[in-house]
Amino acid sequence: MKVKAKLKNGVIKVKTMAKHGMTTFNMMEKKTGNREDANFITHITGTINGETVLDLSTSQFLSKNPIFKFQLKGETFKKGDKLLISWIDRKGKTGKGKGKIK
Amino acid sequence: MERRNFLNVTLGALALAVIPASVKAEDYRTTKPAVWSAHTVDDAIQAMYGSTTLIEKGVSLRAPDVASNGGAIPIDFSTDLDIKSIALYQDANPEAAVCVYTTNKYSINNYSVKIKMGKSGTITIVAEGNDGKLYAAKKTLEVALGGCEG
Repeated sequence: MKVKAKLKNGVIKVKTMAKHGMTTFNMMEKKTGNREDANFITHITGTINGETVLDLSTSQFLSKNPIFKFQLKGETFKKGDKLLISWIDRKGKTGKGKGKIK
Repeated sequence: MERRNFLNVTLGALALAVIPASVKAEDYRTTKPAVWSAHTVDDAIQAMYGSTTLIEKGVSLRAPDVASNGGAIPIDFSTDLDIKSIALYQDANPEAAVCVYTTNKYSINNYSVKIKMGKSGTITIVAEGNDGKLYAAKKTLEVALGGCEG
């Protein structure tokens, strides 16, 4: 998981990429014959200093290795604070990444 | 007396700080599973909000008119409205829901995401206002090469 956050003019712009196959039910049915092999990220959360800044439920229709961009109000946070992002997929596997606000 | 006041104020502030955080961490996949298995946009919106009355204003949506690669279509959407969640739906794939953002007090509601679409279809963004109304934006786009294999 890659996380980039930049503070400029009171706005934090965040760009993050999760490394994940994001396979759909139909894709896996074609490939392995079993629809239940589908696996994709179902929920992503982001925190800075313990405060939730991102809360996202997702489905199989995000692209492979999905990229997310979002923005935050910058007053509360400062440069150097760490943004932690974690995801969980359909099979219960988790991943995480962190980036400093620049 | 002063100390008591201080305690009251502190406890109040703590309660305020704690409750929204726990309420906001909502995983819609577990709380509203019907949204994710709905096959049409209307069904998904009905399952999500209990209503399908959309007001088509206040939300902006940017997507290519023609997507050459259906496997990664860039979608930008934003709104200045006071909202509690914003979600993306489309009608080209077997199921309609793509993602739901729950906003928090730090959010500036401007998002970009890449999605998959199996064929040409319409993207619907629904922003759930704190006033209980549903604001939406729609865009129909052509997909040259499907990215979802059905």
